[in-house]
Formats: sequence, C-alpha cells, structure tokens
Amino acid sequence: MKRWQLILAGIIFVVAVFLPLVIRTDYTLQVLFRVFLFAALGLAWNLVGGYTGQLSLGHAAYFGVGAYGLALFAKLGVNPWVALAIAVILALVSAAVIGSVSFRLRGPYFALCTIAFAEVVRLIVKNLPNVTGGDVGVQVPLLFPTSTIRSFYYAALGLTMIAFGIIIWTERSRFGYYLMAIREDEETALSVGINTPRYKLLALLISAAITAVGGALYASLFLYIVPDQVIAMEISTEIAIVAMLGGAGTALGPIVGSGILETAAELFKNIFQEAHLLIYGALVILVVLFLPEGIVGTLSRKLHFFGKAPTAPLTASPLPGAKEEAERVSAE
Amino acid sequence: MNFYALLQAVLNGILTGALYGLIAMGMALIFGVMRIVNFTHGAFLMLGMYVTYVLFQAAGMNPYVGFIGAGLFLFLFGWLTYAGLLRPIRGQADFMVILLTMGLSLVLIDAVQLIFGADYHQINIALLSKNVRLGPQISLNAPWLVSFALALLLAFALYFFVMHTMFGRAARAIAQNRYSAPLMGINVNRVQGVTFGIGAAAAGIAGGLLLPVFYLFPEVGNQFRLKSFVMVVLGGMGSIQGAALAGLVLGVVESLTSLYWGNEWALAVDFAIFILVLSLKPNGIFGSQRV
Repeated sequence: MKRWQLILAGIIFVVAVFLPLVIRTDYTLQVLFRVFLFAALGLAWNLVGGYTGQLSLGHAAYFGVGAYGLALFAKLGVNPWVALAIAVILALVSAAVIGSVSFRLRGPYFALCTIAFAEVVRLIVKNLPNVTGGDVGVQVPLLFPTSTIRSFYYAALGLTMIAFGIIIWTERSRFGYYLMAIREDEETALSVGINTPRYKLLALLISAAITAVGGALYASLFLYIVPDQVIAMEISTEIAIVAMLGGAGTALGPIVGSGILETAAELFKNIFQEAHLLIYGALVILVVLFLPEGIVGTLSRKLHFFGKAPTAPLTASPLPGAKEEAERVSAE
Repeated sequence: MNFYALLQAVLNGILTGALYGLIAMGMALIFGVMRIVNFTHGAFLMLGMYVTYVLFQAAGMNPYVGFIGAGLFLFLFGWLTYAGLLRPIRGQADFMVILLTMGLSLVLIDAVQLIFGADYHQINIALLSKNVRLGPQISLNAPWLVSFALALLLAFALYFFVMHTMFGRAARAIAQNRYSAPLMGINVNRVQGVTFGIGAAAAGIAGGLLLPVFYLFPEVGNQFRLKSFVMVVLGGMGSIQGAALAGLVLGVVESLTSLYWGNEWALAVDFAIFILVLSLKPNGIFGSQRV
C-alpha cells in the first residue's frame, strides 16, 4: 500500500461522510449507495481474488445467502438484526462447503466451479417455493427504523470502511503475506510450511461474511427480492469486474473501480437506455484488453517508475553462486 | 411411472443429447486446442438461430438448409473474434479470457435485442406437426428426429475432420504441446483461428438445428453458457468424442430428471454432476485422449 493510496482513500471517506449534507435527491444517494455497496463487495472479493489469487465468479452465492437469510428468518419472527447475524453464519457455512470443494481446483476450473455452486444455490432457492417463495420472491424487512435512503448510504459506507480496514490490516500482517505467497506460487508456499488450505479458507470466510452483509443491505433497501435478481451470475461478475477495473490486489482499487463502474452503468442506463448492456459489455472487453492491471494497478506502476528508486533491488535475487561467479569472472 | 413413459423420456433425451453433443464438441475443440473457456458459446448458438431465422423469414429458406448459412457465418465470426479479441490477450490468465468472453456475450445479446427486439419468435414449417409413431405408446417429434440425424452426421464429420486430416492433426499437436507444435512447422495462429471458427460454427449449426423446435429470443443461449462446459468436463477435458458422449448422457439425465422430479430441477442436477465430477474425477468420465 503506497502512501498516496492511503491519503486518497482518506479523502474519499471524509468527503463521503459529509456528502449527504450537500446531496438532496434520493436518486443520487441511491446511486452512491450502490457505489459504496459494490466497493465493499469488491474489497471483499479482492481478499480472495486479488490477494490470494483465487478468482471466484460465484460470490453471488454469499450475496444471495445474506439477502435470503435476512428475509426468511425475519419472516419467522426473528428480529431483523438477529436475522442478519444468522444470515452471515449461513454464508460462512456455505463458504466453508464451497471452499472445501473448489479450492482443490486451479485456474479456470476453480472459477467454473464457483459459478456452478452459485447456480446451484440460485436453483435451490428458485425451486423451493414453500420455503423461499420461489420465483414469486419474498419480502425483506427494513434494517433501519427510518426508511430513508440515507441510513442505507451510511451503512454501505461503513461496510466499505470496515472492508478497507481489513484489507489494510491484511496487507501488513503475516496473514496477508501468506495469502500473497499463495497467489504467487501455491506449491512454494506449501513447501515453506504455509498451511495453504487453511489460509485460503480463512480469506474466503472473511470475504463471504462481508458479501453476505452487503447482500442483506441490498435486499433490505429493495424490500422485495427474487432469486434471479440477487443470486444472478451478473452479480458475481459485477463484483469481480469492480475489483479488476480498479486493480486486483490493491486496497484502493475496488473503491475506484466501483465509483467508475457504478456511475458509468447508471449513466449508460439513462443515456443509452436499451443499449446499456452493450456499452457495459464493451467496457469489460476494453478493460481486459487495455487495463489488465486495473486503474490503480497501472497508476501505481507508472508512479513507481517516476518515483524515488528503491534502495533494495526490485528484481529477484540472483541465482545462488551467481555473485561468486561474477566476481571470479571480473577477477580474471 | 410406466415403462413406456421411461422409454419415451430416454428417447427424447437422446434426441436432445445429439444437439448437446454438437455444441459440446465445438466447446471441447476450443478448450482443448486453446485453453479458452468460451463464455460466448451460448451467444454463438443464439446468433446461429437468428441467422437461420433471418434466412427463413427473408429468403424463405428451410431451416434444414439455412443452418449451413449459420455455420458459415459463425465460422467467419469466430475467426474474427479470435483474431481481434482473443489472440491479443493470449498468455494472460484464464480469468481474463472468461471476463472478455462474458463481455462479448453481453454485447452480442444486447445487439441482437436492439435489432430484433426482445420478443419470442417461433417459425412455422409443415414438419412441426408431424410425429413418428413407434408402437402404440411411443412417438417421436419429426423435426427433433431430423435435427437429431443432422447433428449426428455433423458430429461424425467433425470427428473425422479432427482425427483424420492434416489440419486436425495440427490442431491436436497444438493441444498436446503448444510450444513444440510451432517447431514442427505448424502455423499456430492460423490453426487456432480456424479451430475457434470451427468451434463457433458447431454452436451456430446447433442453433440452426434447434430453431424449428425452440423458441427464439436474445437470451436463448444463456442456458448453454455453463452447460456446454459441464459436458466438456464430463467428457474429459478437450476430448471431442468424450464431449459428444457427454452430450448424449446429459440429454438423457435431464430428460429423466424432468420426468421424475420436474423440469425445474434439470439444470440443478447438471451443475451438481459438474461439481461432483470436478471434485471426484477431474479427468472426466469418458476417455482421457485429448483433442
């Protein structure tokens, strides 16, 4: 984490806290709610996808479990906040199950397996109308006594701050170094004694918990949910794209990515109307083609290039014996 | 549940399964030779349906001829997709390829929706109302039967092409080792471009053959996005004969699931099988020979 990223994040958070004082329309606040909601989700995804290198495309499963957990337990008469806690526990359980199977797979198989799990969750919710309401949907209770969008905005902002805090802590902790070691080379990480299955699962559990809270917030704002809306593959990809656009494996990335993607998506909806998905798809293609490291990732590299040279060599240490060999050659 | 209902379900499953097999062979070819997880495969199928539909509406061309046009169009489209979008990012993580093909899929579906609208269409040909009766209890829908026969024929043609021509041999060489294939004088870019085109054409042709028996709408291909990969995994990564067989198996499994548990569980069973195969036998069930 470079200092400029931390400062920028600080500025964004301070501005965000005071923003509702200036903004009067509910519509703008709703867009901003979405920005911070997906910033939090992107940060949560980043812990598994960006730092650990396990590129999940099934986070809609935890999002949906959070949303449906809140709705269904509240329907049984449980206090909404207790229902939220139960929903998070359910998301942790499903993450443990999904992780234990999918973490054994690598590359595209991991991503495909996470999609398949999310689809299975969606189809189960869809096909059990007696329990979940099925395609008809289910009502979600309000988490806040006042129904204003402002409380939801602050809740999403708070979730983003918590997720950001976790990422910052992770980046500096032994845990975070373990995760990054797994991303760079899992076999090597295993061979130096890192319990890779345990740390991958731990990263996923944290990620799933935040995602479930996000799903519950989203559902509570809309008051009514159907499976195709909250457990959709589109949610999974949107979370991943937010993080990739901003920069996978950077703390600031998902916040920047969400700010750009969510406002752009909203603008596209208003300007291009029916063509907004076309523009959105084209944007995804352009990011993959031209910004594979994301905005913050690319910027960070550029700034690094023009910044002060580091005292320690950036490149990998020379092969053992290479130094002696060089000295021997120069002595001759 | 009597015996005839079971037999009918199995036969219907086999008819669907041949078309699934053709779709899966295209996907297996693309995945086997290039390691590309193609999330545009469903959109390719949808394009094939629309091309056949346009040929039928504008030129009065029977869909059982029109599918050839769909195949040619998708071959070109696939080749261009590979050359313009996928070749530049070769060597990047698989995940980026998945994102890119997902983005392309969105673009294609929305473009078709802008041009043709979101309405459902169905074509009307004389064959649709005909049934072939096999005994007192069993009857097979004639257009399904024709689609089945053509899909089977094309699947065998594709198999022959990959296994017994110089081009197929070059493609299989790249699948075996993409670094030594160019050392043997194989033009990797050209072979991969053509392979992607053929894979897309297989999806397009399957779309053309599905047109007489399916509703047509822009998102019709979405159900095949993940399903075609389920078949590729089931058949053994990149094995085209395995994928074809997996298509038949999946067709029958879906048909039986619909019979006993209801139509809505068919897709869930597909994905459950997918997860089970990935976690228990990642090399697939049929054969281990790669494309």
